[in-house]
Amino acid sequence: MSLAWLLRRLLLMVYTVVIVSVLVFAITQALPADAAQTLLGENASPEALAAVRTRLGLDDPVWLQFAHWVTRAATGNFGVSMRTGLPVAPEMLTALSRSLLLAASALVVTLVIAVPLGIFAALRQGRAADTMTSIIAYLGVSLPEFVTATALALLLTDILPWLPATGYVSPLEDSGLALRHLALPILTVSVILIAHVMRMMRSETLDVLQSDYVRAARLKGLPERTVLVRHVMRNALLPVITIVALDVGYLLGGIIVIEEIFAIPGIGRALMIAITTRDLPSIQAGAMIMAVTYAITNTLADVVYALLDRRIRYD
Amino acid sequence: MTAALTITNYGLDYATAAGAVAVLRDISLEIAPGEVLGLVGESGSGKSSLAWALMRHLPANAREVSGALRLGDVDLQALGPKQLSTLRGRRIGMVFQDPSTALNPTLTIGRQITEALMRHRELNARAARDLAVELLGHVDLRNPAAILRRYPHEISGGEKQRVIIATAFGCRPDVILFDEPTTALDVITGARIIELFARLRAETGVAALYISHDLGMMTRVADRVAVIRHGRVVEQAKAFEIFRRPQHDYTRSLIAAVPRPERRLVHDRPGEAVLLEARGIDVHYGRAGLFHAAPPPATKAVDIDIRAGEIVGLVGESGSGKSSVARALTGLARFDGAIRFDGRTLHGAGDMSPAYRRDVQIVFQHPDSSLNPRHRIGEILSRPLKLYGGDVASVPRLLEQVRLPASYATRWPHQLSGGEKQRVAIARAFAARPRLVICDEITAPLDVSVQAQIIALLLRLRAETGAAYLFITHDLNLIRQIAHRIVVMRQGQLVDSRAVDAFGAEDVHPYTSELMAASPVPVS
Repeated sequence: MSLAWLLRRLLLMVYTVVIVSVLVFAITQALPADAAQTLLGENASPEALAAVRTRLGLDDPVWLQFAHWVTRAATGNFGVSMRTGLPVAPEMLTALSRSLLLAASALVVTLVIAVPLGIFAALRQGRAADTMTSIIAYLGVSLPEFVTATALALLLTDILPWLPATGYVSPLEDSGLALRHLALPILTVSVILIAHVMRMMRSETLDVLQSDYVRAARLKGLPERTVLVRHVMRNALLPVITIVALDVGYLLGGIIVIEEIFAIPGIGRALMIAITTRDLPSIQAGAMIMAVTYAITNTLADVVYALLDRRIRYD
Repeated sequence: MTAALTITNYGLDYATAAGAVAVLRDISLEIAPGEVLGLVGESGSGKSSLAWALMRHLPANAREVSGALRLGDVDLQALGPKQLSTLRGRRIGMVFQDPSTALNPTLTIGRQITEALMRHRELNARAARDLAVELLGHVDLRNPAAILRRYPHEISGGEKQRVIIATAFGCRPDVILFDEPTTALDVITGARIIELFARLRAETGVAALYISHDLGMMTRVADRVAVIRHGRVVEQAKAFEIFRRPQHDYTRSLIAAVPRPERRLVHDRPGEAVLLEARGIDVHYGRAGLFHAAPPPATKAVDIDIRAGEIVGLVGESGSGKSSVARALTGLARFDGAIRFDGRTLHGAGDMSPAYRRDVQIVFQHPDSSLNPRHRIGEILSRPLKLYGGDVASVPRLLEQVRLPASYATRWPHQLSGGEKQRVAIARAFAARPRLVICDEITAPLDVSVQAQIIALLLRLRAETGAAYLFITHDLNLIRQIAHRIVVMRQGQLVDSRAVDAFGAEDVHPYTSELMAASPVPVS
């Protein structure tokens, strides 16, 4: 991996973010929401509305509004919330940090379980153990999130009262309690993702096990464990990295149902509230922060991939 | 003295849904220490299965029905997985057919050599690395220390095979199995690998089982040769005797199929009229992008003339641009330059009329990927007939033309053998009644005997239809049997072009004489 490649990849990420910013701004322009009306309420006088519009620059041409917005956004200033009057960026970043904590923990749990399980299933291909893991995995992925969440919550808070049902505690305050609160949502998300990653890992492992170089490694007399870890797992993991990076997108935006069920004030939930209250600055900030996080994750995945597979050059 | 390897009365079956299939029967072979036994047979003869049985790496459906396999005094069939992994590599090594897939693409060359040395020679990482440098130097790789840090895609196919050979010899085994180690390499590289093998066996005194379908080559590498057919050894003899005094009919047919330049198969002269005249062909792959310049052209200013009914041989090693020329002439690759055909001048694929595309047909190297696996043979053959206004009812006639039964029209490609599939691909080209057929290494994946049948078929089709051939190959002996004229390409450029009877002349290009030196005729 060359420095030039890395720079090109970073430039590509910046492109993506710029395009997303145009889209986000365009969409919030198209929303049937008048910022002045939202601010002043239903009964505001036309004069007051006009004054607020001038103050917010809403009468300027769209491109000028965009230029203003984008220069401020680039320094992390997305304006103040129309709902609370507080700056939106810190609020959204806090929400993001909670979602990231959930996403990262769920990802770790998923990988720790799914990767060995996928290899195991591949080694037992066609036998009972393979079929059983596949059935359980498919069950996990085919049930809707709210069913899985409800079933797990019933089991672990009601039938076996081990965990608190809902709520969020910051790990900075009480890490033990925070973990107990996060356990259920992590479990729910993992159940869904494990099937995905495990099936991918299984089929990739099967492919790699068939390869000439694995046969060559065995016939060199390497112990089976070395063959599996050094020659099989490394190559089978490569496509899985790409899949996992895509799953991060789901984890950031798509787990709103889970955030709702377990009352976690994450970015999905914050964005939902912003949309229902037509809080334009919050919508813009939330969407942009999610897009940037997603772009960074995918860039990271590409870099990791290129480090593991030196054939990748993209030139 | 105990033999290095003893195979006694060995039999092997594969269990399939349709019942047990006999793969090997009554195999008895012995290799003395330091001896090289050549095992010759066609694909499907069971020769590779014997290698897998010796390495104890048989598929799950394999059933050993009789006999014994002994390495020195070790009973190979009695070994458990643990004993096996200490024995493999250490006492019995293997060199594989395709070096490009036998190395792990995500690990450095150094790692892949030292992991074997550390296991079998009980060395620490540093000592293993030092030994690896020495071993790579010994197989004539320049700058071994740098190669250790490279990844497989960063070195050539020949270098990869040298790395694999260095690894196999580095653990000092008693016996090494070679499974067609030069088949995937071009002629010159393959010839160098054979020289290397001869030197290393003289130095180390290793015993070897050398598997190949090429009887001609065996006479240069083996002390003794065993010929295997349908899972049975039909003849065993000293290597220098088998060519002179073959005992079995099958051996004789194998010898007859080995191409020899002095045995010409074409005796006529081509017409005077030039059919196709290509001038200054530069083939380009890829375009300049936002961040990178366009890659250099794959061929540079190639001129080729083909007369009506002429057979032109196009030879050169892999990467020389042979196939790129074929792709340009058929409009499959973007090119600069001009093609004059039938009084019209074409400057690119866009100028190619349906009439041109009909007149110039191509047959590809791998019928497995050039025949659609979801179409029956009849469907595959009726496509060009419909496209070029032929009669779909003539499919049986086409099949008959390539000596396949008419009933094959309802079969799927996977139900056919490699040679049969290539016949279908040839029939598809002739369905358009072309005036020029480009054959791109069409016999390279086939056994010598099947190759001989395909060549006979092509010559008969030419006699019937008057088609000209541009025959691309790396087998100089083969092309000297059939071509009127041979052009030699190297690194994208045409370096030599001469009539076949002027091939022994003294003014040939140095590269042409290098190619000829790398394609010796069998000892006889």
